Amino acid sequence: MRSRPAVLRWLATPRFVLIAIIVVLVAVLIVLKPSFLNGAFVLAPLITSIAVFTVVGLAQMTVLSIGHMNIAVGQMAAFGAMVSGISFDLLALPLVAGILLGLVAGAAIGALTGWIIARTGVNSFIVTLAMSFALLGLVPTVYSALSTGSAFVVKPEGFDLLGRSSFASVCLAGWCGPAAIPLMVVPVLVVMALIGLLYQRTRYGRELLLTGSNVTAAELSGIPTSRRIVLAHTLSGTLAALAGILLATSIGSFTPSIGDEFMLQSFVGPILGGTLLAGGYVSVVGTFLGITLTLVIRKGLELFGVGIETLNVLLGVILLVALSADRVREIRLRRGRTPDAEEVPA
Amino acid sequence: MTTDDDLMARTDGGSTMRRTTLPLAVTAITAAALLLSGCTPQASTGGGGEAAGLDTVKVALVPGGPHPYFQPWIAAADQAKTDFGLGDATFNETAGWDQTKENDVINSLVANGYNAFGVFGVSPTDINSTFQNLKQNGIATAALGSCPAGDTNDADFCLSTDTEAAAYKAAQATIEAMGGSGVLAHLTGVNVDSNTQRRIAGVKKAVEETNGAVTLLPDVTDIDTDITTAQKAVADLLASKGSEITGIVSTAYNPAVAAATAVKESGLPITLVAIDDDETILAAIEDGSVYATIAQNPTGQAYVGSYALAKLASKECTMSDPGAIIDSGSFVVTKENVASYDDERTAASEQLMKDFDADHLACS
Repeated sequence: MRSRPAVLRWLATPRFVLIAIIVVLVAVLIVLKPSFLNGAFVLAPLITSIAVFTVVGLAQMTVLSIGHMNIAVGQMAAFGAMVSGISFDLLALPLVAGILLGLVAGAAIGALTGWIIARTGVNSFIVTLAMSFALLGLVPTVYSALSTGSAFVVKPEGFDLLGRSSFASVCLAGWCGPAAIPLMVVPVLVVMALIGLLYQRTRYGRELLLTGSNVTAAELSGIPTSRRIVLAHTLSGTLAALAGILLATSIGSFTPSIGDEFMLQSFVGPILGGTLLAGGYVSVVGTFLGITLTLVIRKGLELFGVGIETLNVLLGVILLVALSADRVREIRLRRGRTPDAEEVPA
Repeated sequence: MTTDDDLMARTDGGSTMRRTTLPLAVTAITAAALLLSGCTPQASTGGGGEAAGLDTVKVALVPGGPHPYFQPWIAAADQAKTDFGLGDATFNETAGWDQTKENDVINSLVANGYNAFGVFGVSPTDINSTFQNLKQNGIATAALGSCPAGDTNDADFCLSTDTEAAAYKAAQATIEAMGGSGVLAHLTGVNVDSNTQRRIAGVKKAVEETNGAVTLLPDVTDIDTDITTAQKAVADLLASKGSEITGIVSTAYNPAVAAATAVKESGLPITLVAIDDDETILAAIEDGSVYATIAQNPTGQAYVGSYALAKLASKECTMSDPGAIIDSGSFVVTKENVASYDDERTAASEQLMKDFDADHLACS
């Protein structure tokens, strides 16, 4: 088995299965609903959602890599977005400075969470659940106190360009780019590449995975596991904040409800993509593909006018299947028979 | 041991194939997206066009989510489709009180050929962005039941209850029934909704006019999500302050229904003025346990709104005053007129149609 060619091994990975399902699904949708190819009203919103939720998935993936979870991913997104909103609305900061401030806030709340987990040894589920409740109270309170109508609505220059523009507004020599691709994909691709590089090429990434796969072995190998736990949660908080800010730019203002929909999706994407709940293995591309699959299904159902209850039932079923697949993969992995067993994460 | 060794194996070394997965995937996505969408010449932007018949118009009415208030929109949309010969009229309440989902619902309807939208925006601060996007693509838009926050309405028009005026009327009616003095409680909906802020302002204005004779308790907000939430909030309010409250004004639907039942069951001498014309409330007005209610005009919003949207989408007319904010009316219902108030409301809708034809629409 170990000697199987790389191509065969890759064909058996969750990523290839996801790509195959997505391709078939898209082809079926195009045949049954040609309006699926509508650039401005179907593809662009779909790609925007994929971009935002891929970052949400990465936020969860970074903590899954150490075998933890982040139940507060939505509230951390709301917190980071709120700080950006305040910096635009009350401090009149330019776009980049406001986004950076929001990311720092997300990083700080993530670092605090990681520090509590590392110091107390309490399960990450409990700590992030508590953090989620704390932020659930704090965020709306701050909005009520500092804004009228509980929303920060000031948009700095470039805000709409980032959130609501497509390559159609990028013109060269009389020709403009496609309206179906939002400009937001650019920063998201950069983030995907950076996270991929972190896990694939850096010592920190490998140490995070080692901490996730066996914390005792990691400690005995001289890895400062407590610091790696803080690092993973800091990254998670930063990415959650980025997702919140991107969502705010796409809908037009900063409100306390940002992040409400993040938690379920944050698990679905990484797990469908092959990331192990138990830690030690991650996949950036898999996370992207997992998110893409769920959102393509959702968009397809929307085009057929299916109600929200059915959408939610389907999302729950997908998560259940993904979790079962995760368990099967884990068992296979422990028997040394997973198709990914000889590969490094991407 | 095998387990740990295997797990750790995935953290070192690696095949060439895996190292290239990410860039390959990125390239594939970009190429696929480009193939699906393609580039366009710089000048090719939409807009304009010849006038077409109303049968080319497909109207979509999109509330913020499921709520009893919007149920009359369904029948009104069907009626408008028949009466005006529209291509189609649909009602879609799957937004689930989430602005992103509402935008998704709207986008999918556009992709399915709907070209006129009556929307109750979930987030009054964001809905203008949605209207701008639709208008850029030549789609007729109306804010129905709730106008965008702030001073700007980017929809072609907003047809909604003047919520501040309705709340003011309701509070005035309550204070009058209380004998001009006492303690008043205000039950209302989502605090972040600008309409709620307007309702709060309307009630406050009526209370201020009593020069201190009426004391207003802190507003009870965010209890309109469902009837259970409202029932709990009303029960808590009556348990803690029931003995001192002399009047309750509810400017949201679920708290009004909950308060009507709770006040009747408690037997407390509290004057209640509700909102909307739910059967429970109308029955309570008839038996005297509720003093009055302020009926709104959702049927008129949907029916007249669909008419105006069809005229705009067919390019037959334009708005004389783009972004105009038009009051769909509110009606005080007491024991005296409980049997006849609907005639008043129907007359108001007919007058709205005439106003659109005469003033709001400029037709070729």
